[in-house]
Amino acid sequence: MSASAPARSWRTTAARALDSDYFVLWLCVLYIAAVAPFTPGFLSLDNAANVLATLLPLFVVALGQTLVLIAGGIDLSVTSIIGLCSITGALVMNGETGWLAHSPLAIPAAIAFMLAVGGLVGAFNGIAITRLRMPPYIVTLAAMMAFGGLAVWLTQSKAINQLPAAFNALGGRTAFAFVIAGAAGLAVHVMLGRSLFGRWLYAIGHNARTAHVSGVPVTGVVIAAYVCSGVLAALAAILYTGQAETGSPVLGQRILLDVIGATVIGGTSLFGGKGKVLWTLFGVLFLKLVDNSLNLLNLSIFTLTIVKGAVILLAALLDSLRTRLAGGHA
Amino acid sequence: MLPKTSPLPVPAPKLPVKTLLRSLLLLAACLGLAACQKSEAPAAGGKLTIGVAFETLQTEYWVAGFEAIRADLKQRGYTMLEAVSDGDTNRQLEQVKTFITRKVDGIILVPKDAKTCLPIIKAANAAGIPIVLFNRPADKSDAKSVAIVADNFALTRETVAYLVAEAKKSGKKHKAAILIGDLGDINAIGRRDGFDAAIKGHESVIEVVARIPTEWNQEKAQAGLVNALQANPDISFIFTSSDFLFPSIISALKSAGKYHKIGAPGHVILGGFDGDATAYQLLKDGYLDATGVQDVFFEARQSIQAVLDLRAGKPVAELILDPGFVIHRGNLTEKSAQMWGAQPAKK
Repeated sequence: MSASAPARSWRTTAARALDSDYFVLWLCVLYIAAVAPFTPGFLSLDNAANVLATLLPLFVVALGQTLVLIAGGIDLSVTSIIGLCSITGALVMNGETGWLAHSPLAIPAAIAFMLAVGGLVGAFNGIAITRLRMPPYIVTLAAMMAFGGLAVWLTQSKAINQLPAAFNALGGRTAFAFVIAGAAGLAVHVMLGRSLFGRWLYAIGHNARTAHVSGVPVTGVVIAAYVCSGVLAALAAILYTGQAETGSPVLGQRILLDVIGATVIGGTSLFGGKGKVLWTLFGVLFLKLVDNSLNLLNLSIFTLTIVKGAVILLAALLDSLRTRLAGGHA
Repeated sequence: MLPKTSPLPVPAPKLPVKTLLRSLLLLAACLGLAACQKSEAPAAGGKLTIGVAFETLQTEYWVAGFEAIRADLKQRGYTMLEAVSDGDTNRQLEQVKTFITRKVDGIILVPKDAKTCLPIIKAANAAGIPIVLFNRPADKSDAKSVAIVADNFALTRETVAYLVAEAKKSGKKHKAAILIGDLGDINAIGRRDGFDAAIKGHESVIEVVARIPTEWNQEKAQAGLVNALQANPDISFIFTSSDFLFPSIISALKSAGKYHKIGAPGHVILGGFDGDATAYQLLKDGYLDATGVQDVFFEARQSIQAVLDLRAGKPVAELILDPGFVIHRGNLTEKSAQMWGAQPAKK
């Protein structure tokens, strides 16, 4: 008994540290302290603004991924949703050939279309997963290919610019993007922590069968989670499109690893039933700090990709360790 | 209507707003700590720092361009900061902002396309840093930049004119296929138009039966050409808008039993654009009739010179054209020293 007590105490401490809401935030602080002396320009106002500007749209997409992961699923289609929504909005409001070019309704209509398209793709994913009982990664992978292809076909691979300046400001001006991302984060936080829907989501992620037996409308909740993920990807598309001042069918095509990586680094479990908005925020911050510092260190794309891959792998390993420690602790 | 209480045993996570605010304050403190320090000072003396941001390094041409710029900058004693965005426009914007943070003296950029680079150019303009676009010009706008680009239209027209002359020598009518690049890329459009201009007036010799959209993708090129060869087995004239698609073309020709050397019965007249190592090898081996060579070394040199001239306040043309040259079996020995693709192949 005396021999196992310190071991149990160590496990408890480790489990507590890993389970802390601020674990990844402290990692960020440690990372900044460790890297700053060797990274020119890392600790500068311009760079902080750059990190913040690039963090916000990724945070919004990762929010949707958090919801889906908590429910025990995964959404690989978010990148194609971003591209599809980007060109949808641009087709509606661009000043050259837009359906509502120069109309005062152009921007609100474009935003409404973008959010609706995101929601519809999410609903398609959710319905296919729940009604057809197909694995989430296959459904969303197929959706990624199909809707990505649709976006390219609709524009014949051409980017669309001449978007209204007021729309571009939504993503291009960090203050506006901050308000949008902050509002989305707060809404998802309240949804997860203060609503019945949130409780149902965690319950399904823990054990969908038990949740069903307990009276949770599993099908509806899972579909709603994918719809939310689609709408949040569309919201991110608004920010990304505004930043690029261009609607592009391939916008966001390369960020899938960042989205899932940041969410998992934050602590949201790949096994479902666990995740918080704050964790995701810290995960996105950590990934962006790594990305930014490696850029500033003038490392090649190959080194950068290897390091980021290793960080994400480490996070997945930590997730597994955390789950095991929590299990042992319980 | 949802029930007011859940029947579930799962505890909902409780994260009070106070905790959230505390966390956000911590985060703000982190960023604030970062913000307290000043940016790096600009490069002192004559040693300049140039940021080089490429959209991709996935083809030999871009790698050759990247290395040519690196070598030229090194020779001049300048420092090069590098970034590759892997096709992600927003990431490229972030990378250029990183260059701006590091107070570079000039930026050389290969954008993803002509439109999405405009905010990037504007960011450099706002920071007062000269920006030069390597091989891909931007759309017309109020954003100020200089572009060094191959004369895609003229060089393609010249290359295809050579191929048409070769076709005429056979004394028969040829069915032709063109592999077109990403039409969001102005270079691809220039090459397609150059091809059409060269073919025009020679309809008695060349009949274009397939226009294959590749979006600069090898798999799409191969699938498209396989389909075209199935629909038109007598295709005997192929032009690709980029040499990097030759492996796909060779594979499709081999599958169709149509891969023969120049002069052999059934040879398909082949032409390309870029001048990469594969094209050089194909020319040497006698499978490729001609390719239009972009002078990477000229473009690298001109890009750096444009940055220096802009910094010095000298007038610089918005578009600087690389005339390039057509290389074929007849001038291979003479011209290979200028062909960038021949350099690694010679080693």
